[in-house]
Amino acid sequence: MIPSDPKQVTQICFDRIRIPNQRRLEVARANGAYRFLPTVLNEFTPEKIIDEMKKSGLRGRGGAGFPTGLKWSFVPRDTGKPTYLLCNADEGEPGTFKDRDIMRYDPHLLIEGMIMAGFALNVRDAYIYIRGEFKREAEILNEAIREAYAANLLGENILGTGYTMHLTVHRGAGAYVCGEETALIESLEGKPGRPRYKPPFPAVEGFYRCPTVVNNVETLATVPAILEHGGDWHAAIGVQNSAGCKIFSVSGHVNKPGNYEVPMGTTLKTLIEEHCGGLRHGSVPKVVIPGGSSTPWLTAEHYEVPLTYDDMVKAGSMLGSGAIIVMDETTDVVAVTRRLSHFYAHESCGQCTPCREGTGWLERLMLKLEAGKATEQDLEVLSDAAEHMAGRTICALADGAAAPVLSMLKHFPDEVRARLVEKAA
Amino acid sequence: MTTLFIDDREVTVEPGTSILEACRQHGVDVPYFCYHPELSVAANCRMCLVEVEGWNKPAASCCTPVSEGMKVRTQSEALRKDRAMIMEYLLIHHPLDCPVCDQGGDCKLQDYAVDYGPSKGRYTEPKRAVINYDLGPFVNTCMTRCIHCTRCVRFANEVAGTGDMGVLNRGDHMTIAGIVEDALESELSGNLPDICPVGALLDKPSHDVSRPWELTHHRSTCTQCPNGCDINIESRDERVIRIRPVEGSPEPWICDRGRYVYDAFRSPQRILEPKLRRGDAFEPASWDEAFARVVELTRGKRVGIVFSPCWSLEGLMSIRLMRDAVFPDAKVAFDLHRRDMRPFAFEEGFSMTTAQIEAADRVVVLGSDLRQRLPLLMQRLRKRVRNGRPVSRIGAMNYRTNVRLTQDALIRPRDWHAVIARAMEQVQELGKTAAGMDDWLARVEARHEAGKVLADALMADSCALVVGEEIRSHEDAAALVYGLDLLMRACGHAEPGRDGRNLVPEEMNAQMLSAVFGDVRTSARDLFAAAGAGELDALLLIGSDPVGDGLFPSAADAALRKVPLIQIGAIDGDVGRRAAVKLPAAAYAEIEGTFLNMEGRVRVASKPVKSLGQERPLWKVMMRLVQEMGGEPPVVSLDELRERLFAAMPAVREACASATCDACLVPVARNRVQVLPNTQPPAFPLDVVSRYSMYREGMWARASALLSEAGRIHALDDVIVHPDTLASLGLEAGPLTIESFLGKETFRVGTREDVSPGVIYIAKRGVAGHLSDVTSARLSGEAS
Amino acid sequence: MSAVETPRFSQERLEEIQALVARYPGARSALLPVLHMAQEDFGYLSLDVQRHVAEVLGLTLIQVREVVTFYTMFREQPCGTYLMEVCTNASCMLNGADRLVRHMCDKLGIKVGETTPDGMFTVTEVECAGACGGAPVVQINNEYHENVDEAYIDRFIDEARGKGGKA
Ligand SMILES: Cc1cc2nc3c(=O)[nH]c(=O)nc-3n(C[C@H](O)[C@H](O)[C@H](O)COP(=O)(O)O)c2cc1C
Ligand code: SF4
Ligand code: FES
Repeated sequence: MIPSDPKQVTQICFDRIRIPNQRRLEVARANGAYRFLPTVLNEFTPEKIIDEMKKSGLRGRGGAGFPTGLKWSFVPRDTGKPTYLLCNADEGEPGTFKDRDIMRYDPHLLIEGMIMAGFALNVRDAYIYIRGEFKREAEILNEAIREAYAANLLGENILGTGYTMHLTVHRGAGAYVCGEETALIESLEGKPGRPRYKPPFPAVEGFYRCPTVVNNVETLATVPAILEHGGDWHAAIGVQNSAGCKIFSVSGHVNKPGNYEVPMGTTLKTLIEEHCGGLRHGSVPKVVIPGGSSTPWLTAEHYEVPLTYDDMVKAGSMLGSGAIIVMDETTDVVAVTRRLSHFYAHESCGQCTPCREGTGWLERLMLKLEAGKATEQDLEVLSDAAEHMAGRTICALADGAAAPVLSMLKHFPDEVRARLVEKAA
Repeated sequence: MTTLFIDDREVTVEPGTSILEACRQHGVDVPYFCYHPELSVAANCRMCLVEVEGWNKPAASCCTPVSEGMKVRTQSEALRKDRAMIMEYLLIHHPLDCPVCDQGGDCKLQDYAVDYGPSKGRYTEPKRAVINYDLGPFVNTCMTRCIHCTRCVRFANEVAGTGDMGVLNRGDHMTIAGIVEDALESELSGNLPDICPVGALLDKPSHDVSRPWELTHHRSTCTQCPNGCDINIESRDERVIRIRPVEGSPEPWICDRGRYVYDAFRSPQRILEPKLRRGDAFEPASWDEAFARVVELTRGKRVGIVFSPCWSLEGLMSIRLMRDAVFPDAKVAFDLHRRDMRPFAFEEGFSMTTAQIEAADRVVVLGSDLRQRLPLLMQRLRKRVRNGRPVSRIGAMNYRTNVRLTQDALIRPRDWHAVIARAMEQVQELGKTAAGMDDWLARVEARHEAGKVLADALMADSCALVVGEEIRSHEDAAALVYGLDLLMRACGHAEPGRDGRNLVPEEMNAQMLSAVFGDVRTSARDLFAAAGAGELDALLLIGSDPVGDGLFPSAADAALRKVPLIQIGAIDGDVGRRAAVKLPAAAYAEIEGTFLNMEGRVRVASKPVKSLGQERPLWKVMMRLVQEMGGEPPVVSLDELRERLFAAMPAVREACASATCDACLVPVARNRVQVLPNTQPPAFPLDVVSRYSMYREGMWARASALLSEAGRIHALDDVIVHPDTLASLGLEAGPLTIESFLGKETFRVGTREDVSPGVIYIAKRGVAGHLSDVTSARLSGEAS
Repeated sequence: MSAVETPRFSQERLEEIQALVARYPGARSALLPVLHMAQEDFGYLSLDVQRHVAEVLGLTLIQVREVVTFYTMFREQPCGTYLMEVCTNASCMLNGADRLVRHMCDKLGIKVGETTPDGMFTVTEVECAGACGGAPVVQINNEYHENVDEAYIDRFIDEARGKGGKA
């Protein structure tokens, strides 16, 4: 379903997404795609681009929220090795489905963003790592890339500017952890997607041990607008420290689930009530997971929190990937937590002890709890095992696994206790 | 240098060191499982967590580099809790079978469970089931005990280079696996149980035999190849249970040959008491009776002496003293692999240490199956290649190395002159030459393109030349070595400090042998020929088997048909059946002694295993022989014997005296010679090369049931050639006739792509083994 | 050796693979795409297929096995003509995915992970398909079906059966 059009708000990535057949190059071009590309390639220097990106205040949209311009500036310039640009289209975080819409409805926006980013970073070979299940989306991207090559927007000597960049779509094969950037690199090297410890960071030693930048689809799709209108223009949208717009993928118990791009700072309540048509049952949500399943839960008390990086942290959670899962009062939080624990146990890559063993342990304890067979001691173990996973592993998957369990224990102690074996009996 | 604080103590380390290494260097204990100093960092066990001031979460110390002024804390209440939790996670699926596990007492998991573990695991759900894999004849697997540290996988990939192990599945289904159908193929596989921190990979031969705390440790030197590794022999009740590497030695690993040969100490082939032949059988005898028989066979007779290079330096010295006292005219032979006894411009032994070879700009291996012969040097070369540094090779077979070499040229042994000549031409074009090179070149007409590989490498700033058995045992070896010497000198690789000339010896103690026996040695082939021709009356064989090993089995066989054999040694082997008298001498693990490895390192065996029977150190047997023959023993104590040794080899005295004997290397002999090539073509069109197998070569290996079993698993066809060799002759694989100076015989001939066309490869221990005497032959379909 | 013919890529496929390899700094990078091709061509990734892939890309068998067993989309066993993968993660669960799975299994008379005896349908549960706005989501042979309910499934199964087992 094409994302709906929330009237009266600025949009960046979704600005042209509703135009019929926007995925075709001729349509996209007629509506302004690649309009500014020659200017960038001919008149901008890499330094200027990175400068504009820094000024724009854009923070990575993949989950971690790292400032994009800063990330680009970390790439060493004189290593004698090639630099690679990898687009992270793994979109695996439960609740997230935004990048898919960009890719299937406006693929040229992403391609244009990648060419500009590639030029700024002196990249010759760029790859889009897309989750394996998005086979159709990969086909659409491939078709768009074919069109772009034919129009000399990709390949050797792009538009006669002397810049050469090749772009390849690479399908994953079913592994959430490959969204983590170093696991993504391993996977793109043809190996199991097991994250690498850092340092070295990918910017210095990434794909084939060469300098590598990994950016999310939404991040890269924002680049053309920033370069065309200027970093200051972007910085003026949204609020301090959270510049620009953000796509929120809203799912769960709302009347109109879907992707909504709104300026940062919009409140959670506004998003849910005005754009998503409110909850199915009741007036306030029981639980909101604000940034994908790995982020700590919010409850009714935070319904009016503005959607910004800082406010989310203040509220005890994270903006994450902007995937908002809304649960109304009918929800069984134990069942949901058990389901999420299964997810993390299934997706752990298996290398770090706390994650490999801890995720499985959490799942088995949650099953016990759900079945009414857990004891008071099991609850203690549950919280101990979860707490000692977070922050002790190579990547943040273990933190994500701990979040729902700890949130459940924190926000719904009475509901949980009611399920213990003594009580249930 | 970087300065940091570990538990408030200021320490200084190299920049880029990890926190864990900094702690180890300064004696601070941090627990870990997956870290191993010789392997890449995996950082997966998470046991090594420490706190860094200002960081909001604990850091894995093994993968976190130090930084200036960093404040590290290795002990705290929070860390104690973290480590206890890691232990609890690990024990979730680990079986509680310590009482029956071989690793018990030597297990990191067990140790840490005591130091850091919770009092009681809180996991009550079912444990996972895991499949076991075949990791070859020496390794047992019990994968339920695996803690997924991946040390074994990293060892297989990085050190053994087999790439046959990996990690399957993910999450808590993750398993360590080998290839299901095939056994792991590695000559270093015995190290796997050592590096596994728990009881998942276990030593198969020592399975269920003992517990670690029951073992006595003996420090000795392995004499199974010229690398002479330090070994720790572990015994219980005077029985050798296993052999392991010694921590802190130049090599952290030992190979399977050196490790599993231990069962030979108890083999039925041991000579444990003096024996005399009576008809077709042997009967135990007293030392007096046995010596009386020796005296009878040798007094006033023409005696040939053949001995093994593997005795200790003291043992070898006593052979020389015995000879001088009793048989002053006797020729002696010890090298069963050298056809050309003229002095070599650079004699056997290394000018470089293996560490220097690993670090050189270029390395060229000439005609050597290093993986079989010097597995630990090969392991270093593999490490080199993995780090992106080149290794080139020229040789008659693409010996499998488990690593992709930079350049690899296949030639026939008869091409060596042309290879060297081609290299000479190329370096001369670049303005480099040495006096004598023109004369050498003038004698060789042919040129072989493989010479480019050599010349290219010689142009580097530092170049390590590793010259192997194909050249050492060549009929014209002295000329080839001289040619290589000219090349090395021309290119500046012969000066002290930059000397890159390394000639792989067949066995241990090469520097000593050329120094002490240089004036009396003869070729084993000539010695056997003399015996066969009736020019000798008796053979004194001190610890070697010229029929089973070496390149002259047919000549040795003919000799032994003619003259009586007196055998002195630790093992009798097949050749023992032909002895008239057998005298026991203690094995290498059973003596105190000194050894020299190919690098010239002095190795000391200090704590011997107790003797099993009546065997005595060789020097005592030698001195007794002198006495029995009516002479005055030249030495009466080990100290006196050592004095004689030191007098002959002052460098050994120096090395023994210095505190760090590794710093003092005994140099290789150099000879000022000028040996010009003899390029007369061999008698037959095809070259013959006999293939070495680490599992079957040498009396010790053959006396070991474990190595013999591995030899069967890893055996190739007895006779192999390149398919093109057959095609050009219009022949097909199968029974074919080989014609050589020994006559005609029919063998089953197989093919392999990695043999040089024009070469017949024979397995020395196979049915065609006696063809080792042969250097050229003809192949045909006719019946013999 | 088994009597079954070893699976081999067609000439066109081999050329396609060659072109693919050229797009990466190292041939090993092409492993995932080549395994996708192999699964398309041969149905599933038997050990023989894995060995062939290893040979084509110059890898060891264990390198291929590691990847095949790590990623959930690679199958070492055959599955039904229609592989029906139901997302049961949070958003789909909140919208009735569990009920849907039960319905499918009841209708087909199988358990999750099983294939109908006629080899037509396999039902599995999968992790978040990345289409939570259309929950519940079912992927059928890699096509996304969103906002699926029991009636939709019934219709799909009946139509598929009508086609006589050809996807
Ligand atoms: C377990 C895990 C899964 C992740 N999955 C994704 C993902 O699916 N898509 C994504 O863009 N980033 C994902 N990330 C974040 C990436 O590691 C990385 O921060 C991001 O791609 C950087 O791009 P950005 O700076 O444009 O946000 C994941 C991180 C973790 C720890
Ligand atoms: S088998 Fe041993 S070495 Fe290998 S991963 Fe398991 S615990 Fe580590
Ligand atoms: S030793 Fe550091 S994580 Fe294992």
